[in-house]
Parts: sequence; structure tokens; C-alpha cells
Amino acid sequence: MKSENQSYWRSLSHLHQTDEYKNFARDEFPEPIEKTSHPLSRRDFLSLMGASMALAGLASCRRPVEKILPYVIQPENIVPGIANRYATAMPFLTGAYPMLVETHEGRPTKIEGHPKHPATLGGSHVYMQAAILGLYDPDRSKFVLHKNEKKTWNDFVKTWEGWQKTIKEQNGRGLAVLSEPFLSPTLFRLKQSFIKEYPEAVWATFDPVSDENIIKGLEIAFGGASAETGPEKIQTGARSVYFPKYEWDKAHVILSLDADFLYSETHSIEAARGFAERRHLHSEKHSICRLYAAESTVTLTGAMADHRMRLRSGQIVSFLGALIQELQSQGLAINLNAESSPDFDAGWIKGLAKDLLRVKGKSIVIAGRQQPAYVHAMVAALNDALGNAGQTVHYYMLKDASVSNLESMMRLTGDIQNDRIHTLIVLGGNPAYNAPSDLKFHELLNKSKHTVHLGGYADETAALAEWHIPCSHFMEQWGDVRMADGTVSVIQPLIEPLYETKSNVEFLNLLVTGKESRGYDIVRDTWTERIGGIGFEKTWRQILHDGFLENSAGQPSDVKVSLNSVSDYLKTVTLSADTVDIKNMEIVFRPSATVFDGRFANNGWLQELPDPVTKITWDNAALISYKTAQALGLGNNLKDGKSRPPLVRLQYKGRELVMPVWVLPGQADFSVTVALGYGRRAAGRVGNSVGFDAYSLRTSAALYYDNGLTITPTNKNYLIANVQDHGGLDEETLVKKTIDKRVPVLIREATVSEYLRHPDFAKEANVQPNILPLLGKDGKPLSAYHSPLDVTKGYQWGVAIDLNRCIGCNACMIACQSENNIPVVGKEHVANGREMHWLRLDRYFSGSVEDPQIVFQPVACHHCENAPCEQVCPVAATVHDREGLNVMVYNRCVGTRYCSNNCPYKVRRFNFLDYNGGGSGFLQAEVPEILKMSRNPDVSVRMRGVMEKCTYCVQRINEAKFLAKKEGRSVNDGEILPACAQSCPAKAIVFGNINDPNSKIYELKNDSRNYVMLAELNIRPRTSYLAKLRNPNPDLEKKV
Amino acid sequence: MNCHSLILTQSDTLLPIRESYGNNVPMRWVRVHKLPDYAYFSHSVHLRAGVGCESCHGNIAQMEEVHQDQPLSMGWCLDCHRNPGPHLRDLKAVTAMGWTAPKNQSELAAMFIKTRSIAPPEDCSTCHR
Repeated sequence: MKSENQSYWRSLSHLHQTDEYKNFARDEFPEPIEKTSHPLSRRDFLSLMGASMALAGLASCRRPVEKILPYVIQPENIVPGIANRYATAMPFLTGAYPMLVETHEGRPTKIEGHPKHPATLGGSHVYMQAAILGLYDPDRSKFVLHKNEKKTWNDFVKTWEGWQKTIKEQNGRGLAVLSEPFLSPTLFRLKQSFIKEYPEAVWATFDPVSDENIIKGLEIAFGGASAETGPEKIQTGARSVYFPKYEWDKAHVILSLDADFLYSETHSIEAARGFAERRHLHSEKHSICRLYAAESTVTLTGAMADHRMRLRSGQIVSFLGALIQELQSQGLAINLNAESSPDFDAGWIKGLAKDLLRVKGKSIVIAGRQQPAYVHAMVAALNDALGNAGQTVHYYMLKDASVSNLESMMRLTGDIQNDRIHTLIVLGGNPAYNAPSDLKFHELLNKSKHTVHLGGYADETAALAEWHIPCSHFMEQWGDVRMADGTVSVIQPLIEPLYETKSNVEFLNLLVTGKESRGYDIVRDTWTERIGGIGFEKTWRQILHDGFLENSAGQPSDVKVSLNSVSDYLKTVTLSADTVDIKNMEIVFRPSATVFDGRFANNGWLQELPDPVTKITWDNAALISYKTAQALGLGNNLKDGKSRPPLVRLQYKGRELVMPVWVLPGQADFSVTVALGYGRRAAGRVGNSVGFDAYSLRTSAALYYDNGLTITPTNKNYLIANVQDHGGLDEETLVKKTIDKRVPVLIREATVSEYLRHPDFAKEANVQPNILPLLGKDGKPLSAYHSPLDVTKGYQWGVAIDLNRCIGCNACMIACQSENNIPVVGKEHVANGREMHWLRLDRYFSGSVEDPQIVFQPVACHHCENAPCEQVCPVAATVHDREGLNVMVYNRCVGTRYCSNNCPYKVRRFNFLDYNGGGSGFLQAEVPEILKMSRNPDVSVRMRGVMEKCTYCVQRINEAKFLAKKEGRSVNDGEILPACAQSCPAKAIVFGNINDPNSKIYELKNDSRNYVMLAELNIRPRTSYLAKLRNPNPDLEKKV
Repeated sequence: MNCHSLILTQSDTLLPIRESYGNNVPMRWVRVHKLPDYAYFSHSVHLRAGVGCESCHGNIAQMEEVHQDQPLSMGWCLDCHRNPGPHLRDLKAVTAMGWTAPKNQSELAAMFIKTRSIAPPEDCSTCHR
């Protein structure tokens, strides 16, 4: 089986077994524990504490008096202690994230996926889960600023009234709005009114990372004009725009061209869900889908791919050309002359083409948003020729949309430069930080007579604007938003604005009407207009209750691809010479996987969240391939357990940026990927000066990738806090003979054909049949305890994690952090191995260093029946409960850390310092008061000196049991969802009662793919894994 | 204000309540019964099981000023969890003050335990989260 012969490695140091790595792996924590950043030694500390105790004397021993403040008039539906859930949505790019928000007494504490929303069915994404921290961000903009002086909203209203008169007299000439893109009925209505009110005003829409190329590509493909005139067609002459929607669960073959559809493309949750469903092998006769990926860096989609081709982003168009030519030679009727190049593996393309033709009408070809419009046009033509259009690929006309348009941004820049704009309104966004650097927008911001910025933070743009209006968080405001297929949600606030902020609809309404209105009324006006009349109140309440308007998705458009239009357009495109070498490399700009385009830079959870592939935290690096690194003489430099790669100078088009490199196995040669969203200067206390600002290199001529990059190493190194090697097994000093066989069997995978031939491969891959006999002399399972608990009765909780579904998106990590009050520790401590995430995603490479395969494995406390941790706790702070949970009692823990030492999975996390800021004194973190509101009241907040770990969300288990008890029934299957299981878009984590033969978990535990890690230790974990399946093309299997 | 809008509406002792309602300012009650923050307690399951208010809070009706009657320590809680019988009542009698167990309490308790599926857990995870 593949697993046995396969060697898995977490990093290059691990693979090469460098001395540095071996030394590091020996200790669980790389730095000696006593060394903290504080210079105080143990002795001094004790004497100091002794002194202060003596001085303090015995002050009153009585408990301080606490007061209880009840509601004077208790609101309906609020019972203190019982959480309420409300539906809302978070607007994001070309769509939204629908969600349910759990609130305690009117205070939102946890964001969850919306289980009934047709697009996501309960799945979530890291941006969505972390948004709750954005609400309670202490650095959020709190008041109106005028020339950086504190003012009030009324001051601005009066000022605007004064300006508006002159502006109206001139019909809006000289007035300009630069807005973020949106898909929103209310904002669209206000935009229309704005244009009607000020006909000569300029409206530009721009976002640094947007789906503009996809939309433009489809425009080209459909011949530039649309035949549809829906009710949304407005007199303002806005053109109809289309967006693709894919039916992932119908696809048999998927080709991704630089498209990370599982994680960063629009609708990723839907894609992850559909894709995971399609990977599930229901029976022998069933077939799972096959994924091909061609990309320049390693993305989660590439990691899941059965066949992956590394090529530069600039080569995608010639690759597509080569594919089209091959398809034509294999008989596909597609009348498109596409240029190609001989650089690609002809056998690979041949196998791919054959596979696509095998499943006509049941495949999907998708290109990423950073590919130029003509690639999207070609892809649309290809999907059409393959019969996918109308089957697996649908096009929806975007309703109420204002989409990003680089041209409008450039025209606006020109207008400002030529003094044609006297009043500039920046509606959201942060152009001073993220506009293309050649536009020099930060210099233009104070060129106009008046500039007004509406934003959530007093950021780089606000610092330069005349007026800054603080914008409410989406959880504090009324609004509405559409998904790309038209499904519309009303955004309802979960809490009154914490500060004196205004929402974007209230602000825009003021600009249009000159009068103030409440957001609630503005949104209701839109809806009364659309669906008003009899039954409106009922529908309105239904929308607020459900979170979306049922059946509001439009019908897919019947617009057809025009091959002539595509061909004609391609003739106008000149592809630049695409030769690269060590002096002339490709640079690729991608939004950060964690902070996106920089908007989440002040979100501690996201900064500390490891990048799903590189596992870098708190920084960005220039990703290079192994071959490029060797050519330049660079490496990641693991030393003393920390990676200190060299700083290099990136030079591109006369611009320069010094940043660290990172060698990523699987990166395309001579292509360098840099993440956008770092190096911010006015993000807040968390985000300032974190990472390196790649926007300084980015120009409007090539927003996403370009050639012409040179890299020159400097002689300085830079610490990168990378968690990829944390928690690894110490292979050198532990018994070598068995250990070196263990790592390969932590992950078990096989191809579908191997699995069908040998269904029990996962179980049989154990290192040794048994080191110890698993049954005692009395025939009962051997237990470490004198009187073991009876696990055949009552609820017995267990978890199964399907490695075949897990895409490595980290949504579970952030959900866990949000639900369980897990602190952020900062870069220095992460580098020391002290990150506090209860759940970690281990990422393993296997195969060649240049082109490895990748697999992800979520690891949290396994709740072992014979837990090694319980057996060594001197104070019984960690014990087992009757339902199989390994329970952690924080108040008993004295901090010996023996339990963590004994844990073979290394899932226990210790609070070395008071990261939560609950205590007092010099060893305590300074945690702003507002952050206390973000904490889940159902979970203890831990103090320094206490061990913590995954609890299978015991608070949720107890909540469900209480409810079942009160209703006189037992807990139903699927009723309890730990945060990780609930948030997973691919539904990879399943929790349930293993004693219930009708439960899903029972089915999975008895699945032939089910196995546990380190079974030979006889610790009998309750968490097991389902082996991963790969589905390679038999024609290409040798090449893989 | 539900009850006291009808009962003893002129009482001086209840003036703070009326003022609070009138001014929309919450009453600031002194907290008497408090468990540590790391211990989580659910009133509702105890009410459903039929544990009388008096068992834990004492006879509040007879208290001039409310004070903590029982230790509320973990050991004290476990004592009842291990032997809930003496404290279980008819659901209608849960709020009654001055209740004494009837002579056939052990039979009644056995019946309550069966019909209400009372199985007080002794696991740490019951309260320590």
C-alpha cells in the first residue's frame, strides 16, 4: 500500500533530517522553558512575591461584594444564560457569507454557518469565523475625525448640507465617489439615486483583489451585449454582468487553472461542500471525481488534486492553448485558434484531454480570478464546447451589482490629478494602502478640496482624508446583500453600534438626500419598493428569521458563448514573451490566505492562524521553489527550532522591496508568490508593521502577475514563526526501529483502485499487530485503570475525521478559537512553539521535493480511553468522564506539564503566560476591556499556569443534554456539533454517540477506511481518521 | 414589575423597586449565592428533577435578610448527587418553603428517579468546563 512505502515529511528539514531538525524535535518546546522575555530569575521572582505578600498583610479575606443587575424590563425571548441565534450575512467580494450568530443577552459571541442556506449548508470560512473579533476590535474607528481632530456626526451633516447646495447647482460636476464593490439591493438603489441626483458626478468602483477579470472575460465570451432585460435593468445604462456558478456535485472531472476554488475564489464554501460530496465513494460501482490543477504556487485546491502541474501563472494561457489543440486533435469541435507552447508535458495534457472528453457535460473547467479576462473567455468557450454550459456550469446575471472596475479607478485618478474633482468620497476600502502603486493614490487624497472617507478603521486612507466617518461593523448595521446567484439576505444588526458609527447605507443616504434616516428604514424602503403590498410584513419577518429570501435565486441565464467574439478578442491580445530565468522571474501577487487584502490585518486570530499551506504565521514571505532556492543559494535556515530565512531584495519595474524568502516544495520554478495585505502602517496595534507591503511592488498594468522580477539575497536573516514542525514525533531518540515506521502510518492513503482491491488497507497499516495484548486475562479490553468505566452504556462520544474530505482550510481552527476563548500569543511565542490552538492542521508532503503531494490532518485531543495524560497527573486535574471525554479541570491544575509530556499526539497546550489578561502583575498580558465581550461565557477563561486542550466542546454537549433532559428525551444524532464539526465546509469532522447504531459516527467508525493514529500504544483514542483516497487517471498514474 | 405592581404598592420597603422601574435604572442586588467562574451550573435541570429551592437556598421566606444557608461547596453538591432521594419533591412543591420530607420519601424518591430519569452525574465535566 502506498502508505507503507510512502515517506511523509512536514518540512525540508524534516525530510533531510538535518541535525538542527533532530535537536529541535527532541524537545517539545524549542527554547528552554525558564527563558522568558523577562530578565527576572526564579529566585528574584520568589523573593519579590514574598516581599509583596508580607507588605500586603492579610487584607480582608472576605469575598468582594458583587452586584447583580437585572433587566428593568426584560426583552422578549431573552432568558439569561440561554443563547439566541440570529441570521445575518457578511458581505464579501462578489457575494456574501450567510451566517447564524450566537448571542448571549444581546451580545454576539460566536459566528456559525447557516445550516439552511442553500449555498453553504452550514459551512464556514476563516474570514467569517474571525469577523466576530473585528466587531470587538479596540482599534476600530470610534468617532468622526476632521483633519484628525475629533468631531461629531452632526458636524459632518451640517458641513455636507453646506457643500450639497453648491454641488447640486453644478449637477454634481466635480463630485466623485470611490466605492468598494457590492451586490446589494439597498446600496444599488442608493447608487441609482445618487447618479440621478448628481448626473455629472463620477462613480468609480475598485477593490485591490476582485473578480473583475472573470466578469470581463464572460462579457467577452457572450459577445459584449446581453439579450436579457430583466427588471433590474436600469435607465442608468449599467451593463449586465454575469458570473459563473458551478454544480460541483455533478462534476466527474475538474480542471483548475490557477483557481483555488476550494478556499480563495468566490463561493468557496459551496465549492468545498460540493467537491467533498463528490469525493465520497458511496459504493464500489460509484466513482469519485478527479481533480487536475495547474498552478504556480501550492494552494489547497492543488493539494487536493489528483494530478497537479506546476507552471507559472503567465503560462496558463499557453497551457490552455495546448489543451485546446489536444482536444481538437482528439475530435472536440471547438473552433478556436489558441497559441500554445511546447513547454508542457504532452502526455499529461493528452491524458487530461481524454478524461475531459470521456465525461462531456459532466466536467468543470475553472480559471482563477487573477488570470486575465481573455483566459476566462477561453475557459467559457471550452466549457461550452465540452457541453458543461447548462449542466455543471451556469451563468447568472448579477443583480444589484456594482463591480470593481480598474478603468474607472484609473479615470478617477486622472481626473483628480487634473484638478477636475473638488469633492472625493471614499466609500469603504483603503486606497491609500492598497491602490496600485503607480497611481500614487495616497498623494492624491488631499489634492481635492474636500475628501471624505467612510471606513471601519482610522487607517492609512483616513489619516490623509479631510473627514473620516467611522463605519459600523456589519454586525451593527442594517443592509442587504445578494449572492452571485441572486439569493438575497437582509443584514440585520446583532448589537447596537458600540461606538458612534454610521452604516454605509445611512451614509450614502445622507449624501443622496441630505437628510438622516435610520438604516432600518432605508432598507425597508428598498424592500417595500420591491415586494411591498399585502403580506409584506410577513415576508419581511420571514426573511429576517430565515436569513435569506427563499427562492430568490434567479434562473440561470440562457446567454450563450459566442466563439467568434472570443476569437476576435484573442486576436487583439499580444502575449508577451514568456521566457524566464534566474535574472528575470515571474512575480505573482495573491491575497493573503489569512488577512486577505489587508482588511483583516488587525485581527489577531487571523494573523496567528497559520497559512494553510506554508504554515507561516504573523508574516508573509516570498515563496520560491526548491530549484530556485538552490540556484540562489537560499534555504529556510532552521536553527534552534526557529526558521530564519534570509532577507532578499525583490526588484521589479524599478520598485524594490526587501522581504524574507520561504522555500515551498511544490512552487513553480522561477515564479515567486508574494502575499498582499501585510506591511500596514495604520491597521491598529495588532497589524502594524506585521509582514511586508507587497502593494509597493504592484502596478495597474499587471495586478496579479508579471515577469521582470529579480531577487538578490542580502546578508541579513529574518525570523519567521512557522508551525509546520511543531508537534512532530521525535524520531531520533525514541526507539528508532519502530518510530521510523510510525510517521508514514499517521497518514494513510491509497488510490481508489487500490482501495477497492484491498478495502482494509487502512486498518492493516498498523506498525505492529500489538506491542501489548489488547485484551486482558479476563478477556476484557486492557485498561490502565483499576476499575475501568463501562463504555457499553449511555452516551459515548467519539469523532471521526475524514481525511478524504478535509481540504485544510483552517475554518475549524478559528471556530475552535472563537468558541473556546483561546488566546492569541504573538509571533515570538509562536516561534517558541507556544501557540495555543487546541486544534491544529498538520500538513504533510510526500513524494519529490519539487512536486510533492500534500495531505492535511486535523489533530486535537483524541480523548483516549487509556489516556496517557490522565495517568501521570499528580493532582488529578485531568480525568475521564463516563461518556468518554477526557476532562480538564483548570482549577486543580498546578502546571507540572507532565500530561503534555506524556501525550503522544502533543495536543495539550500550556498557558506559560497569562495570555488572557485575567490576572494582575507584571506577567499578565494587557488585554483591552472590550475584548472581554468577545468571549464565550459558557467556557472558562484560563489563567497562567494551567494546561488546556480540546474538550469535544463539552459546553455544547452539556447544553444538548440539559435540553434533552428537560424535554424528557435522549440526545438525537447530529444535535451536538462541536465548533470544528459545525464550521467545516466539507463536513469532514463528524461527532456523535458511538453506542448508537443509527448514528453517523457509528457508520464511520465501522467504515473500512477507519483507523486510529498510534494504535499500537493501546491508548484507544475516541478520535479516529478515515483514510484518504486519491483518484489518479490510470493513463497518467506512472507520472503522478 | 409584575407582582409588585399589584402587591404592597404603597410599601416603603419596596420603594427602590418602584423607583427602578420608574427611572429605568436596574436594581443593584447584592449577590449572595455565587459559584466560582470555572464551575457552571444549570438551574433548569435541577428544577426539572424536582429539587426544592429550599434545599440549596434555605428557607428564604423566613429570612429577614437573605444569607447563604448552605455551603455550596463541591463536596456538598456531590453529597446530593450521590444521594438525591431525600431532596426530591413533587414538581408542584418545588417552591414551597418549610417543606419536610413525608414518611414515604424513599419510595417517592425511587419513583421520581425512575419517572424523571434522574441520574445525577458525578463526572468533572458536569460542571467544570
